[in-house]
Amino acid sequence: MYNHIKEIVADSEKTGKPISELIIEQECQMSGLPREKVWNKMKYNLETMRDAVKKGHSGNGVFSSTGLTGGEAVRIKKYIEKGHTLSGDTIMTAVQNAVATNEVNAAMGVICATPTAGSSGTLPGVLFLLEKRLNLTEEQMIRFLFTAGGLGMVIANNAEIAGATGGCQAEVGSASAMGAAAAVEAAGGTAEQSAQALSIAMSNLLGLVCDPIAGLVEVPCVKRNAIGAGNALIAADMALAGCTSVIPADECIDAMKKVGHQMPASLRETGIGGLAGTPTGQAIKAKIFGEDA
Amino acid sequence: MENRYKSVFDIIGPVMVGPSSSHTAGAVAIGREGNRLFGGVPKKVTVHYYGSFAQTHRGHGTDYAIAAGILGFTTDDLRVPRAPEIARQRGIDIRFVEEEGPSPIGHPNTAILDMSDGEKKAQLSGCSIGGGAIEVRDIVLHGINIKPAGSLPIVILVDFERKLNHERSLSDFLKLKAPFEEKRIYKSHACYIYEYDIQNYFKPDLTGELRKKYPHIICL
Repeated sequence: MYNHIKEIVADSEKTGKPISELIIEQECQMSGLPREKVWNKMKYNLETMRDAVKKGHSGNGVFSSTGLTGGEAVRIKKYIEKGHTLSGDTIMTAVQNAVATNEVNAAMGVICATPTAGSSGTLPGVLFLLEKRLNLTEEQMIRFLFTAGGLGMVIANNAEIAGATGGCQAEVGSASAMGAAAAVEAAGGTAEQSAQALSIAMSNLLGLVCDPIAGLVEVPCVKRNAIGAGNALIAADMALAGCTSVIPADECIDAMKKVGHQMPASLRETGIGGLAGTPTGQAIKAKIFGEDA
Repeated sequence: MENRYKSVFDIIGPVMVGPSSSHTAGAVAIGREGNRLFGGVPKKVTVHYYGSFAQTHRGHGTDYAIAAGILGFTTDDLRVPRAPEIARQRGIDIRFVEEEGPSPIGHPNTAILDMSDGEKKAQLSGCSIGGGAIEVRDIVLHGINIKPAGSLPIVILVDFERKLNHERSLSDFLKLKAPFEEKRIYKSHACYIYEYDIQNYFKPDLTGELRKKYPHIICL
């Protein structure tokens, strides 16, 4: 099993196989399942993601029971249709997909955690944008998820992927790094460029705190996934342009872990500090759960 | 280093009902392991929350998730949000207690399940480490306190004959089919308990084979 990003890159360079292939082989070997079963499991996850994106931007959209989030994926969709986006239709389509997914999650709909539910919009944000932009086949989309997942395993085993232990940098930060690296492969980049994209994306979200209002996976989680998806695309483009990260990927991951452990508990998914601790955040909490909460 | 995440589907997945993988999907998983340890649905369960679980369980749906797991539901079961109501209809008493102070098993997402059904009692201390993955770091079974490393799978054999030959046979079997990091043996007047920390997820059909060979085995 791969313990470091550099081992994956070295293996890819040695064998000429893309990262996705190395991860499929690792999964078959570790689970004892035939390739077809492993492949179909990922296909089921892809279909779940597609359904969630669709649900989030169809009709009037979805709304959470608290009323804190919902309907903004539809708002973004209509805005894109007007044709005057500032950051471009590409970025805003990724944002729309990301927000749609997390709105479904907040409304207790079915999603695929990537790597977590709170960060479940980031990867679909990137992936369903690339499907249009690069005309990806289903096979390429499934490969995207294996690449993202394989690199995510290294992040999860060496650092954290839970807001409670690592802050939001461990959730949206990890998802964004995974998405950046997988986007590079989908665009025809090398494993080394994937590692660079991962490093750039992760570095840019280091220190991101987990401060959900009333402890709900709504504010600021939904919009942070929009930033995670945008950040992934920018990092992937920079890596494809030949830009490099001064700090190697595995060291970025170590840094993320250390930063997470240095964060006070109030900024690690306790609903106490950050935005949750603002007067408005506290007032919303009291309104939802009562004054004594 | 033992890897806590052992499959690409720990990262891309699970498919689940929102809103939180650690506080909802992970909580379902803790409940399910409680069900497995108990050998079915207990009549009475008291859930003790620590850390982030104590602070945010209401916002994250942790209560319905634990109840769903105890009933044996999977993370993508659409009945998950209605689990407490379903449990009540089946006459199962589930209570939730917010504990103060640090988690006894050293993780901010901790739930301790006290399960009972008449004479039968068991306790499972689980923590949700992120992305829906969990660890079980403390178990009390037949009055014996078991302390696994945490990472699943965990195999437990209860041996009422207290002869150790079952331990030898099971150890040999596991070495061949599901290598383990660590083995622990606990002894009391009533029984011996053998606990194994398994390295990788079980290969297909292995748990069925284990159950056939060892009637008192528990696979978490």
